[in-house]
Amino acid sequence: MNGPVPPPRIAVAGVSKSYAGIPALDGVDFQVPAGVVHGILGENGAGKSTLMKILYGLVRPESGYVRVDGVDLPGGSPAAAARAGIGMVHQHFALVDDLTVVDNCILGAGRGLGLVDRAAWAARIRQFAGRLQWTIDPQARIADLGVGQRQRVEIVKALLAGGGQTRVLILDEPTAVLTPQEVDELIPALEALAAGGTTVLFISHKLHEVERLCPTVTILRRGRVVYDGPRPERDAMTRLMVGEVPPVLGLHATASPGESRLEVRNLEGGGLHDLSFTVRAGEVVAVAGVDGNGQEPLIRAILRDARAVTTPGLAPEDRLGGIRRLGLIPDDRQHEALVLPLSLRDNLVLKEHRRFPFATSWGWLRLGRWRAHAVDLLTRYGVRGGGPDTPAQDLSGGNQQKVVIARELHRNPGLIIAVNPTRGLDLAASADVLRALAAARDAGAAVLLIHHDLEELLAVADRVLVLFGGRIREAPSRERSAIAGLMLGSPTP
Amino acid sequence: MIAARTVWPALIPFAAAVAALGLILAGLTLVGYAPGEVLATAWRGLAGSPLRLGIWAQEATPLLLTGLAAGLAFRCGVLNVGTEGQYLMGAVTALAVLLALPPSVLSPWLAALAGAGAGALWCALAYGLDRWRGVPLVLSAILLNVVAARVLGALVEGPLHDPTTAAPQSALVPEAARLGALLPGTALTLAAPLAVALAVASWLVQRQTALGFEFTVIGLNPVAGDLAGIPVESRRRLAALGSGALAGLAGAFQVAGVTWFLSGDAQSYGYAGIAVALLGRLHPLGMIPAALFFAGLDISGRQWERRLGIPHDLGDVAKGAAVALVLAAGFFRGRR
Repeated sequence: MNGPVPPPRIAVAGVSKSYAGIPALDGVDFQVPAGVVHGILGENGAGKSTLMKILYGLVRPESGYVRVDGVDLPGGSPAAAARAGIGMVHQHFALVDDLTVVDNCILGAGRGLGLVDRAAWAARIRQFAGRLQWTIDPQARIADLGVGQRQRVEIVKALLAGGGQTRVLILDEPTAVLTPQEVDELIPALEALAAGGTTVLFISHKLHEVERLCPTVTILRRGRVVYDGPRPERDAMTRLMVGEVPPVLGLHATASPGESRLEVRNLEGGGLHDLSFTVRAGEVVAVAGVDGNGQEPLIRAILRDARAVTTPGLAPEDRLGGIRRLGLIPDDRQHEALVLPLSLRDNLVLKEHRRFPFATSWGWLRLGRWRAHAVDLLTRYGVRGGGPDTPAQDLSGGNQQKVVIARELHRNPGLIIAVNPTRGLDLAASADVLRALAAARDAGAAVLLIHHDLEELLAVADRVLVLFGGRIREAPSRERSAIAGLMLGSPTP
Repeated sequence: MIAARTVWPALIPFAAAVAALGLILAGLTLVGYAPGEVLATAWRGLAGSPLRLGIWAQEATPLLLTGLAAGLAFRCGVLNVGTEGQYLMGAVTALAVLLALPPSVLSPWLAALAGAGAGALWCALAYGLDRWRGVPLVLSAILLNVVAARVLGALVEGPLHDPTTAAPQSALVPEAARLGALLPGTALTLAAPLAVALAVASWLVQRQTALGFEFTVIGLNPVAGDLAGIPVESRRRLAALGSGALAGLAGAFQVAGVTWFLSGDAQSYGYAGIAVALLGRLHPLGMIPAALFFAGLDISGRQWERRLGIPHDLGDVAKGAAVALVLAAGFFRGRR
């Protein structure tokens, strides 16, 4: 050992934090030196976001400390974290759409009162972007920029907020919203940042990106560090992330599918090009793809009964009749499926509230039946954390999703449409959701699963379609790398 | 669980009302009034005799109706802040009907129907501007309040003007066409029990019918309502029409039973209804005490001014304080 060893750029020691008595982080230790890209990996609910909030000063740890270059970071103050040189790029952008890039960056720097020299800021924005080999128009309005550009603005904003002295840049799931090309362009920029001495913490659960970018990783599981060091092999990383719980696999069907339940023929518009596919009774057809490749317009077309979409076997009637007959598990359960302030009783009967026996033909509610129905479904679907009178907002994400599944699947609908049904759920809850879909399929339902997670999707899919750039292609095999290739737009092999 | 979730929030408005009154009394005590005397004056003015009670109920009636109007729309997520304009249009339309038709026992009821219809149409206008022209309802409704006041002004100075005076006021509704008083010496009419019946009916609809459940769902989460197959647009339209009709009905009853004429002077039952709805936490039955509270402060304010020399605006201060306290106490939590 020659001379004093410099302290690590960021040191986390003994950090714990619990919510409502449930530990989110439990004695987390790790250190990262200056000038590297370090991956922080973990399943949903492993504690990644709590850790990030602590690093960024949004949350104060119950015990332990964080040090930046050997100096204690006072907990619970984003301003102090910013002064210490920590920059953060959130998964959901924090940009004001109607303002220009310059104004957003000035806003991000939080200068308070005083004059601002927009020209100087614009020059700095160009300079910082240039170092990362990007071109950003400082006068562009955020609303006019694409997702990839917005993320660049966020990164430059975070760097500028540190006054050019950013020591640690935290990126929370930065690639979730990006197209593969945008990811390709982000990665060298992050490497350039690290080469300039900034430590980049790259939070992700996308292992192939971690493999391209991070020589070292910290892996969290259930709030603890289960691995910290050089990046292991892919399989080892997966095992460390998910533990010894075997992944849900092999739920695909053996029986042959029955009659057609959903037909999409030459669907166009909203960025979709000549989309056609069929979903039959007794099969799970999964649509794989990176978010933003046409999932939204496709879902809208199906739910709004676009002319190109037909549902033979289901009485067509009007759209509302159609929706009531669907089992629909929407992408965002809190905003699209549940009425959070209402009780579980009300949420479970919603959609059937006008049907016998829940209401008379005059629309008079029979609330006693609602209650019995709720008690029955809560038991059958194993919902924990509340009874019929509990507001839906008091349940955990996994149990909220069980409520949605109970409501949507208990009547054995002929057609089920599920969009990212495991989003935000931990491994056990995800497995429950996938099993429920497989069980519905086995009972004869046609299931359309639009899902972002390839592993889970392969676990239940009987057929895989890949959506890329608004076009759909049937995957020739269930082989993961081939499907991943199609998701990234590679030509059919 | 019941205690924590349902009883406690229901007590918030009462606590807020008591606190607001306490605030007023404390202020008055500080500047030298005897709080006992202030309270006694108010009490005598409100409940000193059956006549007084009748007047209290009479004053609360239009407030209850406009409160129900605002509450119905708000619960469904329709921000109808145009109850004032709808009230005025209901009043002036009812007046036109009462002056035009040959007087009979039926006159006030026909006028009430016409007033409700006019209120509904006025709200439909605001709603339509929102829906089809993209004018936010809050703006279109508020601006139509101003338009309604001008329309009323023009009518009472024009076609409905009382030819025997130069003052900007309408002719008087003939006695045979008026809504009769239930209690001699007051203007307490059948409108009062009817308003209470409408409050109970609103509550039953909200609690016990599929329609009311759908209103609640739409008000809390229209996207989930839509994906559950509820025709959100048509329900909102219905809530807007119902809201306008209730506000118009309030105006019609006021003309047919209480004032018997209209002048260009400002009225504010429509605006006050919004505050009543908020104080009642959008619960139709909660609006009954809320309307009585507001009417009580109006009456007490006048009594305090006359007997004790306290400015009557003080009553308005208490109203504002009570509503602000209710809103501050987490209005949006546990609404059902």
